[in-house]
Amino acid sequence: MNRSIDAFFKKFGDLIVSICYLALAIALIVLARALPKSTVMEIGPDFMPTVVGVICLVLSLLLLVQAITKLRSKDGALKAAGEETGEASDYKRVIESLILALAFVNVLKPVGFIISTLVYLALQIIVLAPNDKRTKKDILLYLIIDVVFTFVVYFLFRYGFKIVLPAGLIKF
Amino acid sequence: MSTLAQLGSAALSVLQPVSLLLMIAGVAIGIIFGSIPGLSASMAVALMLPLTFSMNASLGMNVLVAVYIGGISGGLISAILLNMPGTASSIATTFDGYPMAQKGEAMRALGIGIVFSFLGSIFSFIILTFCAPMLANVALKFTPIENFGICFFALTMVAILSSGNMIKGLLAGMLGLVFAMVGMAPIDGTPRFTFGNSELMAGFDTLTTLIGIFAVSDILISAETIGKGVETIPVKKVKGFGFSPKEFVSWLPGALRSALIGTGIGILPGIGGSTSGMLSYVTAKNMSKHPETFGQGEPEGIVATECANNATIGGAMIPLLVLGIPGDGVTAMMLGGFLIHGLSTGPLLFVKNADVVYGIFAACMICGLIMLIVEWSCIKGFVKVLKIPKYILMPLILVLCAVGAYATNNRIFDVQSIMIFGIIGYFFHKVKLPTTPFVLCFLIGKLTEQYLRRGLMMYKTFGAFFKRPIFDVFFFIAIAVLAWSVFKEIRASRKKAA
Repeated sequence: MNRSIDAFFKKFGDLIVSICYLALAIALIVLARALPKSTVMEIGPDFMPTVVGVICLVLSLLLLVQAITKLRSKDGALKAAGEETGEASDYKRVIESLILALAFVNVLKPVGFIISTLVYLALQIIVLAPNDKRTKKDILLYLIIDVVFTFVVYFLFRYGFKIVLPAGLIKF
Repeated sequence: MSTLAQLGSAALSVLQPVSLLLMIAGVAIGIIFGSIPGLSASMAVALMLPLTFSMNASLGMNVLVAVYIGGISGGLISAILLNMPGTASSIATTFDGYPMAQKGEAMRALGIGIVFSFLGSIFSFIILTFCAPMLANVALKFTPIENFGICFFALTMVAILSSGNMIKGLLAGMLGLVFAMVGMAPIDGTPRFTFGNSELMAGFDTLTTLIGIFAVSDILISAETIGKGVETIPVKKVKGFGFSPKEFVSWLPGALRSALIGTGIGILPGIGGSTSGMLSYVTAKNMSKHPETFGQGEPEGIVATECANNATIGGAMIPLLVLGIPGDGVTAMMLGGFLIHGLSTGPLLFVKNADVVYGIFAACMICGLIMLIVEWSCIKGFVKVLKIPKYILMPLILVLCAVGAYATNNRIFDVQSIMIFGIIGYFFHKVKLPTTPFVLCFLIGKLTEQYLRRGLMMYKTFGAFFKRPIFDVFFFIAIAVLAWSVFKEIRASRKKAA
């Protein structure tokens, strides 16, 4: 499964990029049209988006052509992907980390720095730790690091740098 | 010789024990602020400002200078060890510093960074001391048009930077420009691409973008392989600063060029250390006989960036002291320091308060030396960070990134945007788009548009720009560079096809 995702990116990477940019370029040009034109100067706020949009359009078309010819000419494209010698990427850990980090930045304000960091750090370290490093003893160590780090950062910023991190539910 | 005599007498007063101790403390505080992302040199100066109230003018200013110097050079530590630029000035240090650290050469990379930071700052301070009034007049000749020329020139550097796969490099850069356009348009303040979100009105902050693209995406990337086993990065012990005298000599020409770029950019108000570091890095890569090693852990890359960003300090002090024009956030804070102590910067400062001015010059050089000693003696401590297993270190870095992003503007939106840029960085990694052009374009995009429109406001038509010789030089060199790189790229791809 993981290996096939790697192969997919390797094979269709350029194609994906060119299609994404094509969409971006069209969006830019359309959105720039909606921006007001300047009445006093040669160029207004719509100038840069239009220029960037047009450059993106040209470049993404070039890349699209390049990607398609590459896919066609190389019947070996699949073979190359099959010959992948490196180890497959571990997408489970990537996605779990991503979800945790996204949750962390979104609850930081309502829940507060201390609670959200305590929970996030503990879970994130456990997610990233290799399978053989998840014994009870290891987890205890992670929890100690978690608590010490969270409080040190909070108080260092609060009293050292005079920056009050979001307090949320607990107030000091 | 009066300059030297005045400098000498100023140095004697700066070297008083009390003043020396305060400066060491200032440099140390600056380094701490510099190495933590989100805490910038300007914040450090702002925090120290009230503490200087009770000191006399000369001592107070010297402490602020110490904090400034520490703050700019401290960024290299986290850039090299953690791939997390502590300040915007040290972005380009991550390009080669982090790969070196991953190869076990962390101590060597830090040693090189520290020594060349020192040399860069000393170079710019010498220029500051001896040529300040003369160069300040040059700065006055720079109107938005010339600045637009420089920004345009820097943007075309993306083409060189991404030679080998130019289309993808340029596309990566374009996305940087797109993100730079979010927020209020320059001059008229029209909201662009904000989609009715009031948080987007102010646009994306530079530092949050950098943290996201480098550090956060790095966490996701290492999650791919982290389960395979516990590996800590080896740290090779080095003697001295980690490089031989022969290497040192071979890097000197590059260092001199970088210091010149840094000082030159520093003199021009509004462009700043982050651009000078990037510009100097790209120039070094372009001039190098082996450009392909840049980005893989090439010491010359660190030399170029660190020399240039520290040389910017001396450059930025020139318009501040001589004309009273602050070029960026830190120098604006310094201007505040001058006002608090009842000094008005400008041409008269050199006549009325020559003792303070020469005190600052002497303090600059001595602080450079203090920075060298403090950082060098702490290298062994810094590299201990790498002993922590990655699966523990990475989450801690993410929390620090979030805190740093929050600290920049005190808004939670910045914390959320590091995740947006983290995901972009990870996507870039998956489809093999380079992140460097993205960052360069993001940094310079805003400035380019701003100067272009300001210039047009002054001169009405674009054609009038060409009547300014300095603009012409930058503009036509940029066009030539662009044409040459496109030509080289096409030739290379033909060769490959044949």
